[in-house]
Amino acid sequence: MNALLVVAIAIVSSTPGFAQQTQTAAPAPDSASSPVPSTESWITGWIDLGYRWQTGVGGSLDTYRSFVNLGSGPKLLGAEFTLIDPRHRLFDKIRVRANGWGGDPNETFHLDAEKSKLYRFSADYRDIAYFDYLPSYADPLLSRGIVLNEQAFDTRRKMGTFQLDLLPGKWITPYFGYEYNSGSGTGTTAFYTTANQFPVPTNLRESTNLYRGGVHIELSRFHATFEEGGTTFKDDQSVFQNPGPVNYGNVNTSSFGQTTDLTSLLAAYGIRGSSIYTRALFTASPASWLDLYGQFLYTQPRNDVNYQQHATGNLLLDPSLFYTSQSYLLSAAAKMPHTTGNFGAEMRPMRRLRLVTSWLTDRLHNAGSAASNQVSLNSSTSEQSAALLNSTLIDNYSQAEAQLFFDATSKLALRGGYRYVWGESSDAVLPPAGLASADQARFRRNIGLGGIIFRPSQKLSLTGEAEVGSSGAIDFRTSLNDYQKVRAMARYQAVKSLTVTSDFSALLNHNPAQGVNFDYRAQQQSVALLWTPAKIWNIQGSYTRSTVNSNIDYLDPGTLQPQVSQYRDNAHTASALFNLMLPPRSGFVPTITAGGSFFTSSGSRPTNYYQPIATLRLPVGKHLTWFAEWRYYGFGEAFYLYEGFHSHLVTTGLRFTR
Amino acid sequence: MGQRLNMSSYWIEPALLAVCLAMAAVPGSAQPAPPFVGTDTCAACHEDIANAIAKSPHHLVDTDKKRGWNGRVCESCHGPGQKHAESGDAAAIHNPARLAAAAADRICLTCHLNQPTHIGRLQSSHARDAVACTTCHKVHANGPEGLVLRKAAAINEQCAGCHDNVWAEFQRPNHHKLPEGAMACVDCHNPHGSIRPAMTQAFAANEPGCFTCHGDKRGPFAFEHAPVRFGGCATCHEPHGSANPRMLTRQSVQYVCLECHANLPALNGTRTIGVVPPAFHDLRSPTFQNCTVCHQKIHGSHVDRNLLK
Repeated sequence: MNALLVVAIAIVSSTPGFAQQTQTAAPAPDSASSPVPSTESWITGWIDLGYRWQTGVGGSLDTYRSFVNLGSGPKLLGAEFTLIDPRHRLFDKIRVRANGWGGDPNETFHLDAEKSKLYRFSADYRDIAYFDYLPSYADPLLSRGIVLNEQAFDTRRKMGTFQLDLLPGKWITPYFGYEYNSGSGTGTTAFYTTANQFPVPTNLRESTNLYRGGVHIELSRFHATFEEGGTTFKDDQSVFQNPGPVNYGNVNTSSFGQTTDLTSLLAAYGIRGSSIYTRALFTASPASWLDLYGQFLYTQPRNDVNYQQHATGNLLLDPSLFYTSQSYLLSAAAKMPHTTGNFGAEMRPMRRLRLVTSWLTDRLHNAGSAASNQVSLNSSTSEQSAALLNSTLIDNYSQAEAQLFFDATSKLALRGGYRYVWGESSDAVLPPAGLASADQARFRRNIGLGGIIFRPSQKLSLTGEAEVGSSGAIDFRTSLNDYQKVRAMARYQAVKSLTVTSDFSALLNHNPAQGVNFDYRAQQQSVALLWTPAKIWNIQGSYTRSTVNSNIDYLDPGTLQPQVSQYRDNAHTASALFNLMLPPRSGFVPTITAGGSFFTSSGSRPTNYYQPIATLRLPVGKHLTWFAEWRYYGFGEAFYLYEGFHSHLVTTGLRFTR
Repeated sequence: MGQRLNMSSYWIEPALLAVCLAMAAVPGSAQPAPPFVGTDTCAACHEDIANAIAKSPHHLVDTDKKRGWNGRVCESCHGPGQKHAESGDAAAIHNPARLAAAAADRICLTCHLNQPTHIGRLQSSHARDAVACTTCHKVHANGPEGLVLRKAAAINEQCAGCHDNVWAEFQRPNHHKLPEGAMACVDCHNPHGSIRPAMTQAFAANEPGCFTCHGDKRGPFAFEHAPVRFGGCATCHEPHGSANPRMLTRQSVQYVCLECHANLPALNGTRTIGVVPPAFHDLRSPTFQNCTVCHQKIHGSHVDRNLLK
């Protein structure tokens, strides 16, 4: 916030308006040398200031906070303005956008500044409140009527992106960038032991910094970009329970004649990471009928971890032994070199014919190791165990593709092509333990591609595309196997005031292998319209119907009985917005906007989510508009009634325009 | 079958490229000097557009000596304008808005081909489906937005104009905060194209753009969860929105997990990753129906091979 203030002061102090106010002796701008007409204002834009009342949440406040999280109070609801310096001192133009300041969950600020032939600068800052408390997600105590979500978080994520492009000449552009993102807050998680899991508080604190610099080289027919960058990462999550009330965990039945409990816990992660990366890109146009491009990307992130944990209580740590305290220390490291190469070309041997071909390889190799030492104590015995584990994960993915584009007529374009995908994956932890320690799989897929674009007139356009794939091998049971993917779009301008669009997409994926029997069908179709029959009113709306139908076999691990995982989702979504200009009052035109979005679904998780909205805008002066807005949020689920909520929000404020 | 086709692709592409490069070496026939008229002539009739261009980033074209466009900003896209200027006939000059998308794009790419954002353009669905540059970019525009929309809400509205289905997904209760204006479609997708699936943005060269915000999921982890690396976040999450908590693809956690950890290796001779059973968990117990209560570090663990902590 302080940084924002400094930036704001710097901007304001460098604006001509501010300069004219504070330096009355400053010479008038030389209008002859300025491309900006002297009548043009040095600042244009708007700012919305207001106050929001939340009339109370009926139902689950936690779910409301998880989905909406808007509260009462004074707000800077939004702002967008452009500053122009006619004298081109520190900048030619600055654009500023801000949204949701004053305690809202999504606070954003963006600034672009530029000065011709010198620099381009952009800064973006976001502060996102992330509250998540949905017991239906992971709560083993729900069946006992206890609503205690063991994966619930109340965190904030702050992100900043800054980039400076220097413009010393036309063919070379050096640039520098810095990005950061951090998350911090509190939450509830579970401490796992063999026979029980204990809900415990957790503190979350992690951050990533990214530094980069590079140069664009631009010649007439050739371009290259070289960029070097690096990241640093740290994660200091801690999980704890202070000595005091005994935590009996999720399991209240006895194991080997005893119940387990946790009386104190401190577990701390100390994770430090870094990486370097390289980007080298080129595009070239060696002839009028040929474009080439290629890129080489390489990154090698690495993490080093020190984890320590100390717990006391009556803990079952071995299948049959109870301990009163446990200490666990671990050091781990992992690195993951990741290389991507890509090359392609577009050839236009004839006026109506284009051939686009490409090749891509993506190779990712992870190697990790962890050394741990555990000491467990009880009144009669002490046990120490040490372990050293090594892990690898490899994914080699390659893809080659060629597509032919043919402009049959000026109104009809066709395309067809072929893509081949192949590679192998493996995942292993050594020494082996349990039922699985190493997996490996190969995958290969032949895919046919096709498309059609038909634009018989300026008013009508039809687009269709299809993809049909057949796999010789796959790496996951749910991977695309034998599949068909289609999409069709239509846009029609019936009359000048009415435009209708329609969109249809479908994905069918089928794997009949015994033991899998995967059958997945997803479909979406929508229709939208924009109707502006008169200057004083217009309406826009859309309706979407989507369905998902999935069946796949699995074996119940407890009973070893074959089961089918079925998922059904049958959803209807509608949104509409109606704008009406009312008769003028004192020369100003009030406007009313009403509409909202409405979602309802049936199937595996029947859900309703309604968000109607109505807004009144009433200009009260040349540069001032009063507005009032009502919003309603209503959420309900058939199976998880306790998560339902509804709330009214009323906002009023003033828009200052210049 | 697949391997055989794979081998063929090794020689087809280099051979095509070699032929094309050889053709490129053939000098073209000499063209007569085009009859340009200059920006001032155009501005005499099209004053509003000329004024807008003068304040837009495209005004730089008017001083571009490298490509020979100095003083000819209008004709850099519309072509030589002498015939049109003399006759006033709209048909006597190129209007990119009336050209096929590929032809219109070629005009833009005369200058903009050589930009890093265009590396993946040829593979993008926009290029394949003839979505012209001018669908999103306003060549003559002037104002706070410049040539393309910058504000998140405006960008989202523009994308939703074609992607109605996708926008509907954001109206579900669990979603990324696009309707709230906190994010824009272009935060996650590069509309010009990308080497990543679904034209998604990349983080630190070639990693999924999701890590730009979700840095704690990036790893590398000593104990990885394979689908996070191989299939990406969309293996388990609906990235646009879902009625399921945490934007999961299934109504409850157990089905997301069990569909891969199925105990049932495929019997057709192929092998897939992750089919081995999750011990002998009794799914009648609520604890075991919520896999992530114990397997908390489901995105990868630095500490535990079973992703328990």
